[in-house]
Amino acid sequence: MAKIEPGMESMLDMYFFETNSLLEQLDEILLRTEQANAFETDDIKEIFRIMHTIKGSSAMMGFDNLSVLAHKAEDMFFVIRENPDVITDVSFVYDLVFQVSDSYKAQIEAIQNNSDGEYELSNFDELIDKLLKAKDKLSHEANGGAPASNDSPAASSDQPKVPAAEDGKVTVRVFFEDGCQMENLRAFLLINTIRDECSFLEYSPADVETNTESSKEIVDHGFLITFSCKDDKTYILKQIETALNVQSYEVISDGEAQEEEKKTEAPKAEIPPEPAANIQVEKPAAPAQPAQPAAAPAPAASSDSAVEKAQAAVAAVNQINQPNGSQKQSLISVNLAKLDALHDIVGEIITTESMVISNPDLEGLELESFSKAARDLKKLTGELQDTVMSIRMVPLAGVFQKMNRIVRDMRKKLGKDVEFVIEGEETEVDKSIVDNLQDPLMHLVRNCMDHGIEEDVNDRINAGKPAKGTLKLSAQNSSGEVIITVSDDGAGMDPEKLLAKARRQGILTKPENEYTEKEIQNLILLPGFSTNEQVTEFSGRGVGMDVVKANVEKCNGTITVESKKGVGTTFIIKIPLTLAIIDGMEITVGDIVFTVPISTIRESFKVEAEQIVYDTGGNEMIMIRGVCYPILRLHEKFLIENEVKSLEDGILLLVATDNKDICIFADKLIGEQQVVVKPFPKYLSRYNIKGEGLSGCTIMGDGSISLIIDTNNLVG
Amino acid sequence: MTNDVIKEAVAKQQSGDRKLLADNTVLGKVMTFNIGDQVYGIEIQYVTEIISVQPITKVPHVPNYIKGIINVRSKVVPVVDIRLRFGKPEIPYNSRTCIITLSFNETSIGIIVDSVADVEDIRTSDISATPENKGVNSNEFIQYMIRSEENTTKLILDVAKLLDEQEN
Repeated sequence: MAKIEPGMESMLDMYFFETNSLLEQLDEILLRTEQANAFETDDIKEIFRIMHTIKGSSAMMGFDNLSVLAHKAEDMFFVIRENPDVITDVSFVYDLVFQVSDSYKAQIEAIQNNSDGEYELSNFDELIDKLLKAKDKLSHEANGGAPASNDSPAASSDQPKVPAAEDGKVTVRVFFEDGCQMENLRAFLLINTIRDECSFLEYSPADVETNTESSKEIVDHGFLITFSCKDDKTYILKQIETALNVQSYEVISDGEAQEEEKKTEAPKAEIPPEPAANIQVEKPAAPAQPAQPAAAPAPAASSDSAVEKAQAAVAAVNQINQPNGSQKQSLISVNLAKLDALHDIVGEIITTESMVISNPDLEGLELESFSKAARDLKKLTGELQDTVMSIRMVPLAGVFQKMNRIVRDMRKKLGKDVEFVIEGEETEVDKSIVDNLQDPLMHLVRNCMDHGIEEDVNDRINAGKPAKGTLKLSAQNSSGEVIITVSDDGAGMDPEKLLAKARRQGILTKPENEYTEKEIQNLILLPGFSTNEQVTEFSGRGVGMDVVKANVEKCNGTITVESKKGVGTTFIIKIPLTLAIIDGMEITVGDIVFTVPISTIRESFKVEAEQIVYDTGGNEMIMIRGVCYPILRLHEKFLIENEVKSLEDGILLLVATDNKDICIFADKLIGEQQVVVKPFPKYLSRYNIKGEGLSGCTIMGDGSISLIIDTNNLVG
Repeated sequence: MTNDVIKEAVAKQQSGDRKLLADNTVLGKVMTFNIGDQVYGIEIQYVTEIISVQPITKVPHVPNYIKGIINVRSKVVPVVDIRLRFGKPEIPYNSRTCIITLSFNETSIGIIVDSVADVEDIRTSDISATPENKGVNSNEFIQYMIRSEENTTKLILDVAKLLDEQEN
């Protein structure tokens, strides 16, 4: 058991966020390059950088095991970076890096889940060993002369010695701000930023990343960097100058000067390059910097408070004038709970607004100024709502990318050749939906991979399909809904088998011959139904599809299955785009008020008796502009006792559904209102209210509750 | 209260040991209410509030004992008529009728009761187990009983069961 150091808790969230996004980035690069089957130099650099950052931040947080793991992975990539051709077994490298990424995620999750701050540090010995072997193998392949790792020469003990300047090499001594702490890691980060630009890089003390003791040395003597650059040394100097917390630096020996001196064979060149060539470079934004001995800035422990104060002021000025400081602030991460609270408040405001504007006390009054103010308020609350909604909108790309990873792993394990196609990943949905969607999508993708795509390639070829299977994940916006489909071109589902299985499981509720094909297919969404004969690593435990359904319903969505034997299976998930607020039309039936989403209403009208036609079964229908629509009486559908029985006395609404438009019959129209959708209480979730065409409820201006009609499920 | 605590209390009284019999530690508090002549109780940690009967929005396609949903300070809460749930005849609501809202594991419901009686202590010495007479519908929701000085028996509802019941 380890414990998070006190004082680090506040940084923990940031660490998780940063590391997780880095790991996602890593996965993305790996998946992309794996498809192309080659590492681009840029990609390798990027992976290297990611590993490096993770290593640094893990060490800072005290997660030594993670730091070591990243270190080893980094070592391996160092070899690869030096000589990209060494990779002979590409898939081996990929597997290894994926393993590293997974181990990270698992460890981070373990730490995150332990709220009391204690966590087990996993042992990554095996993986580290693998990495080491891989590295040795790679470096061996590279050639005998190449360095096996990026281990710098051992650090000097007490007094850092100034490395002798060689041709084109620049030595710089860097001092960090007094009291900025963790100087070793800051130094390490600094090295990290300039590393890519340098063809040669050496620093002292060399053990900054592992040895916290080196901080003291840096404070006392400064941090020595010797480098020779690929392009322009002023660029690197600039980098050093602008790096976070760097107070000042001095160029001890300048490569060019050295060269010149060598050319002229001046005896000066023999002089140790310490004082003569010193150029003190202060940060440009440090006008208040007091005159200070260039080579010996006051150590952190200095008792001279005036100097400290002055330096603090300088530090503050520096922070403000940091050229990239302002850019960083254009993005902030916010706790989701705060956004949820904001979201709830906006919901309440809109309800209250309706309460005020359509207050019964105002009825019959001519209030010109009030109406104008009310209109303005409505406009503003509308904007407020849109903004709050847009804050919470995130693209589905993140979730889709994760599926990519799952497909990759399964492709390998199951040995199925499958192409994974993603469409519409830029579609944006509410953050809470994204979170709820991850598990169901994962299940569906696994199902398609495991059961959908044929086991035997010959089966596919015989069926006239390409040998390579296709798994498609797509998302699109459609009239206030997000439609996400997961489809495969595999074997499809056999209705006979499904029915037989359902019979064995005893989950049939009516005679078999009464089941339509669609109903049979949707049987697999019932709890305890799994068609796979064997339980595999990925699926087949009979939990899954019902969990998928429950998860989708959690975000007020629906899921349906379409499958054709031999052609493939498609799962369609429909989720309302904005969970919470809709424009609704209020109608009454008996003493119940219903809300119909305006987006589904085509028109509303009174009807004459002669417009009604009856089919042979006596069902009522109505002819509008040459099209015949069935009439659904809401009071019959919901078993409500009401006064209005004759179609002529009530009102008809023509509403759209998935399949066809229908007319619904209600007693009376009340009016339009913006409503905040609330799900039915959990206690009622065991009853099939949603399936009967009610999607939720809403609290109206007067505090009473209205039920929201879901036209798609009215007729089923 | 957990079943273990109740078992322990019951065991103490059946032990016949005078010392244990006299143990009257206060284990918690119950809110008591009446349904007909019977006094029922609910441990107060489950009770969120007591409100007067207000218009209830009916919800279609649910059992008859679920009267509908109400708005309790911007929260939508389903309402169960305890009379109907226990298979007793429905009576018209009057000014003494109350809705007690309960919450357990983030699920909340309101129950309609004839009237609210009192809040009292539960003592170890008062607890007794529910008699095992199967077939009586209302017993399945009774966790234990308490006897009081006036020799009345109060049936304490098992809130977990009441809220978590499966459709049967």
